[in-house]
Amino acid sequence: MKDSCAATSELLERYFDHEVSDEERSGIETHIEDCSACRDRIKTMEGLRNLLKSPVDEVEQKEDFSRVWLRIERGIQPEETPAWGESIRRWIDLILRKRVWVPAAAVIVAIFLALAPSVLKRSPSSSDPSVVEYVESQDYNVMVYESEKGNVTVIWLFEGPEKEGLSPS
Amino acid sequence: MKRLSPFFIFAVVLLFFSTSPVFAQAQVRVRIIEASNAGSVVDPSLGDVHRDLAALFSFTSYRLLKDVNLNLVGNRPIEVLVHPGRSMEVTLIGGYRRLTELRIRIKREGVPILSTNVKLAAGRAILIGGPRHGEGTIIFAVSARF
Amino acid sequence: MEHDETKLISRCQEGDQEALKQIFDLYHNKVYRVAYGVLRHREEALDIVQEVFIKLFRSIRDFKRESRLSTYLYRMTVNTAIDHLRKMGKARVSSLDEEEAIQPAEEPERRPDRIFLYKELEGKVNEALNKLPVDQRTAMVLREVEGLSYQEIAETMKSSIGTVMSRLHYGRKRMQELLKDYLQEGAGK
Repeated sequence: MKDSCAATSELLERYFDHEVSDEERSGIETHIEDCSACRDRIKTMEGLRNLLKSPVDEVEQKEDFSRVWLRIERGIQPEETPAWGESIRRWIDLILRKRVWVPAAAVIVAIFLALAPSVLKRSPSSSDPSVVEYVESQDYNVMVYESEKGNVTVIWLFEGPEKEGLSPS
Repeated sequence: MKRLSPFFIFAVVLLFFSTSPVFAQAQVRVRIIEASNAGSVVDPSLGDVHRDLAALFSFTSYRLLKDVNLNLVGNRPIEVLVHPGRSMEVTLIGGYRRLTELRIRIKREGVPILSTNVKLAAGRAILIGGPRHGEGTIIFAVSARF
Repeated sequence: MEHDETKLISRCQEGDQEALKQIFDLYHNKVYRVAYGVLRHREEALDIVQEVFIKLFRSIRDFKRESRLSTYLYRMTVNTAIDHLRKMGKARVSSLDEEEAIQPAEEPERRPDRIFLYKELEGKVNEALNKLPVDQRTAMVLREVEGLSYQEIAETMKSSIGTVMSRLHYGRKRMQELLKDYLQEGAGK
């Protein structure tokens, strides 16, 4: 039995992976019927396989691959680069057309008139630190902290222990 | 000229009644960092912010989970997934010349656990931290590009 | 199927994006499973899927059809995932005896999620996988997660069948040592 076990043991992994000949398989299966040690080894390998495979199966089912395809589609689009001369000619044609520059000028004036009050009033200077105008968390405490140098603002969420009933992802 | 008048009037009216100068788009950089006290590995790509992080927190290890540049268009949220069940939603809600206004929501399993409106100036960053990530904590580093 | 695949490849080589979409529909699951198996991170695995199919479209003119498209894709996925691991500082290529320096040491009292045994077990499995050298980890994923034969694994990893068997043997042995408590409890069921 021991000799048989030693011989079978070397083949056990290949048997588990279906990489043995019919003759070898037959010999191993005969041995396993009477050898609990070899049966346990196979069970252990099955257990390991399940530990590795099950999470992958679960996660795969939840994924939305359609959005991945959209990203791929964007990634494979060729970049169009028109000839320089053609681009410049097109722009000149466009600008010189009265039907374009007259309404364009009108819109620019309108934009200026609309924005003037906002632009002329004091707008936040870039030397001001980033400002947290509003922060809310229904379930947790939040702290807002300004660093001494004023170039980093920290919002910290004090998340407690996971609430029971939340399903693991 | 007949066709121009209604167009011109429409543009003027629309712009006068707009309440704030909402910029059409903005670029925002989001770095998602896992901070922990296990080990002392600092991701090399966090070299520029490590000093700030070390000055603010007592974590010994910082690992960059994600580094994304978002091209935000006014009032259209973009969601960045961090971890199974966690995400950060960013929406451009306004801005001035060198200031970007954002609404940021941190979500867990699709439910907001933190909502904030911030104004990001050039060269400044907001760090939003606290959500757990395995044995560490997530810190979202958000900055605007001008 | 092979005949259809040959046509798809030819169309893709001519720049037909619809052909790429069909290849994507056929293979995205396999690519994802291998990527997730190696990286154990959903977002990163999705990034790998995106990268692999973009790379495929750009490089398919160089595909010589000496191997099957599935092998070509598996190989690209494995290489891309390993590159990603290396960039994240997680790839270990040295022997089993070298001490793990990348993953955080376990500090049970700091973990907030002990309530969920499933998460803990998944964490243990990921920790154990992270301790394997990259080649053993890859062989384990291709065999245990994707069910590839030794021959297919050898073609994907560009190694001999004997090397594949050795990697699987030592990978399994190490994983069983690291997860012995969970395997004895029957947690693998």
